[in-house]
Amino acid sequence: MFSRWNWVACGFYLVLSICSPDASSGLVQSCGHIIPESPVLALGSNFTALCILNESCLDFGNIYASQIIWKIKNRVVPKEQYREINRTVSSVTFNDTSTLATPLTCNILADGQIEQNIYGITVTVGLPPEKPKNLSCIVHQESRFTYAMTCTWNPGRHTFLDTQFRLRYRWPEQIFPDCIPKDVNNSCTIDDSQFFVNTEIWVEATNALGKAVSDPLVVDPIDIVKPLPPQNVSITSGLLPTVLQLVWENWISDAVMTLKFNIRYRIVGDTNWMEVPPEDTASPRTSFSIQGLRPYTEYVFSIRCMKEDGVGYWSDWSEEKTGITIEDKPSKGPPIWRIIDTSQSPACWTVHLIWKALKPYEANGVILQYELTVRDKSSLSSPVKKYNVTSTNYTLQLREGTYEVTLIARNSVGPSPPSVLLIPASNSKAPVKNLRTLPKHDKLWVGWTAPNNYVLKYVIEWCLMSSSSDCIIEWQIVLGDVQGIDLKGIKPFKCYLITVYPLYADGQGSGQSVKAYLKQDRPSKGPTVQTKKVGKAEAVLTWNHLTVEEQNGFIRNYTILYKTIDGNETVVTVDPSKTEYTLSSLTSDTLYTVRMMASTDNGSRTGPDFTFTTQKFGKGEIEAIVVPVCLAFLLIVLLGVLFCFNKRDLIKKHIWPIVPDPSKSNIAQWSPQVPAKHNISSKDQMYPEGSFTDVSVVEIEADDKKSFSEQDLKPFDLLKKEKSTSEGHSSGIGGSSCMSSPRQSVSDSDEGETTQNTSSTVQYSTVVLNGYRDQTPVQVFSRSESTQPLLDSEERSEDHAGGADSTPQRQQYFRQNGGQDETNTDRPCFERTKQITHANEGDLVGFVQLQISGQSSQPLGLGMEKNTQEAAVSDVLQACTEGQTVRPETVEENPLSVDEMPKSYLPQTVRQGGYMPQ
Amino acid sequence: MAAAESPSAALRRRDLCSRGIRLAGKMRADVVDLLDAYVEQQGLDASASAAAVEGVPLAAVERWDEQTGTQRLLENLAAYRAFRTLLAQMLEEQREQLGEADAGLGRALAAVLLQVSAFAYHLEELLRLESRGVPGEEGDEEEEDGPPPPPRLSLFEQKLRGLGVLRELAQWAVRSVRDLRQLAKPSPATGAAPGLAESP
Repeated sequence: MFSRWNWVACGFYLVLSICSPDASSGLVQSCGHIIPESPVLALGSNFTALCILNESCLDFGNIYASQIIWKIKNRVVPKEQYREINRTVSSVTFNDTSTLATPLTCNILADGQIEQNIYGITVTVGLPPEKPKNLSCIVHQESRFTYAMTCTWNPGRHTFLDTQFRLRYRWPEQIFPDCIPKDVNNSCTIDDSQFFVNTEIWVEATNALGKAVSDPLVVDPIDIVKPLPPQNVSITSGLLPTVLQLVWENWISDAVMTLKFNIRYRIVGDTNWMEVPPEDTASPRTSFSIQGLRPYTEYVFSIRCMKEDGVGYWSDWSEEKTGITIEDKPSKGPPIWRIIDTSQSPACWTVHLIWKALKPYEANGVILQYELTVRDKSSLSSPVKKYNVTSTNYTLQLREGTYEVTLIARNSVGPSPPSVLLIPASNSKAPVKNLRTLPKHDKLWVGWTAPNNYVLKYVIEWCLMSSSSDCIIEWQIVLGDVQGIDLKGIKPFKCYLITVYPLYADGQGSGQSVKAYLKQDRPSKGPTVQTKKVGKAEAVLTWNHLTVEEQNGFIRNYTILYKTIDGNETVVTVDPSKTEYTLSSLTSDTLYTVRMMASTDNGSRTGPDFTFTTQKFGKGEIEAIVVPVCLAFLLIVLLGVLFCFNKRDLIKKHIWPIVPDPSKSNIAQWSPQVPAKHNISSKDQMYPEGSFTDVSVVEIEADDKKSFSEQDLKPFDLLKKEKSTSEGHSSGIGGSSCMSSPRQSVSDSDEGETTQNTSSTVQYSTVVLNGYRDQTPVQVFSRSESTQPLLDSEERSEDHAGGADSTPQRQQYFRQNGGQDETNTDRPCFERTKQITHANEGDLVGFVQLQISGQSSQPLGLGMEKNTQEAAVSDVLQACTEGQTVRPETVEENPLSVDEMPKSYLPQTVRQGGYMPQ
Repeated sequence: MAAAESPSAALRRRDLCSRGIRLAGKMRADVVDLLDAYVEQQGLDASASAAAVEGVPLAAVERWDEQTGTQRLLENLAAYRAFRTLLAQMLEEQREQLGEADAGLGRALAAVLLQVSAFAYHLEELLRLESRGVPGEEGDEEEEDGPPPPPRLSLFEQKLRGLGVLRELAQWAVRSVRDLRQLAKPSPATGAAPGLAESP
């Protein structure tokens, strides 16, 4: 601020001085001036300035002191502060200089109220210097002979003015040149300080407003010396492995001061300094032997000094120097452990002996080799095996047994004490109890409770568990009185398997294991869930366990979260050991979203969503519907079939209307008494023109000759020979009969002749199935070449029956059995069934022609005959079996009317097994 | 006199003696170092002989142990005042000869000169404690003014004289240490008057 004022004031003053008579030698005459000229004022004081007008201006310009106006930086000073002393002098008074500014000008209102500047001054406001305080000095040794004394002090408040500080010192009768600080105001350095004379030192601060002097400091500079540290420090090894000698030079002579020292040292790589006891180095010296060091250890040394009496300052620490102690024998044997691999054979061990390299303070030198000794304790005769190893492991192939392994480390000085490891045949001793872990910052504490027996040592094994690689074992041996250690180098969020083995004097205890984390986190991923099976109301979920790398902690539980699209989420907690869970009470045919969350102590992680849709029907529901439906259908079909079967005649009637057989109409007039020959002849007579077609019968395979009597066979042969023998059969048009499958169709008649003669006739034929006993029935086709009009016959038949229902009863199948009764096997049975049915209807008598095989029919025992109907008609059958096979004959010569047919037809009883020739 | 000595005066005296001894020791060490530097700098031989320096009492004295404390102080004061003058003269000549070329030697000379002055101050203080008046230097100056000024010496003679001054100063430093140790002993040896009376 003041500098700006000064600048403005200088400019203003330059202008004024041009106008002033003194400066410009009258170029422009000034009309007055201000007293005092450019004052320096104390801040806060009062100040009065006078403006004195020249007499010449009074006369020339008619200006007087009453017209004077004071201004501070163009601001008019209130007139209350003015005072007109006389007609040429005006004063202005300021009670507080802090209100002042520069420039302060004296102005006058001339003619016409024109303001003219008369004079101006620069006002500088500041503070006088304060008394410097806290003066202190220190003498720095700069070289062997030069000492510089630096004094510092507190300069006090800022004065706003140019203030000079000077450091002064003197002896009682000699004053030295002042020390003037450069660029600073609080310190100064005296280059040539003299010792052993009390020197009075003080500081003077001076500015335009005053001068201040500090309290004097009287001191002998020798008492405030900070010497240079000892130089050229060197270290030499002694004869002992625990001693190093330190040698140095002092750069300050004993004539100036005697010194005491501090020596510190540390092992290379260690940050903690150790210090030689100060009382050991409290006297002047240039060397010192440091004892109690570790063998073969590199040390760093540093030294400092100060005046022996302790008055003054410590020097800086000297440059660090290193030295190494000589070697000594190893102080202890290496810790040894083993890993036994019995994978090849339980009886053959692969023993991996592993040991730790001794720590530097234990090795006491460079270990040249390890001497390994293995002794089989189970066999005293076995020789002791010795091995020299340079690595820290060795693998042996041993038989199962108890071994004692001894290990010695050797350096250039000598061997270590032996380490002994007993390998028992089995770890049968008591294990540790209550194995537990506890994280401690970056270490994992493992603790256990000792077994009851005395334990020599404990072996702690630990390894980082991994799903992709084997567990690499780290181990440590501690003494038997220890029941807990801190494992170092444990990584957070990793699972470690920790095992503790107690080692006894005579054996080894089994290991106890525990899994532990130094620090847990939430899993790195969630389980991926999927469905194994989805039902109507349930779904079986499966998932895989997270890998140990993904777990990041102990999985405390799994949580299944599932929901429908618009439903609330359902949460199920599952035991972490499970990999499957069944969701129940689900809604059928619904889309579900399910996800799974794995939780550790420190959080959870959710896996991806999985969606599934429950089924519309449950298991067995479809079967429960389809099977009954099918069964019902089948039942209906079966009932329908049975119904049809029962009503087959009725159905048959509608489908295959029975065509009346004209020959049938004649058969009623056939008399069994009429000789067959006669009938034939009569037949010939009836149809002299051959319009009536002979019935050709072919009997096939009537093998069982025994059952036929000669009498039976004769007529048969006869029939075979006489083709003219006709049998009235009517089984439908085309020669096909119901449920017959003729294998052979033989026509006894000359077909060509028939074709010629009966071009307008309708041929009827019957297929007769015949067989003997268990032989395949022979199919017989009977053909009728009746020329009778069918309609007439039907009409008569219908008229006679009086209804449609009686029609089948009248429509008889007349079959001419070319064979014996015994041949009636299968085929007749079917027909018999029909007949039985008729019999049930009570309309059997007279019309039903039963062709019963008599005794032979019973043994045949066809299945069809075993139905219930058989019993019902057993009486009828019984009656039938008494008689002979009825052979309806077509009575051609005397055809009867339909009404007469039943009356004329009498069943003929024939001898059993025989045949009555007709 | 000793009986009348106050405890504070005794402390002061002991302190002055102690400082004086150490100052004299340092002065001797510095002078010895300076001598080496001086000989080398001036191109002299360390074995060069130098005549006795005029105006400086000889450090070697017979029957030293019979001297009183005051005598010792007075002789020391006279010697160091002479050294102060001679060293100032040497410093002036050194500056004239070498200018600022060898500031190190000049600084060392100035440092020794300061130490001589300081030691003279110690002696004066001790004499004051002895209730003895300090002999004024003016009288000496008058005496010195009395005789004709020393003849202008050649440059080599100046060097040799400087060598002689420094050697003599080194010897005086040794003697001063012994004198002050003698004075520092808390014995009635401070019976300076008898000693002084006994002195020849």
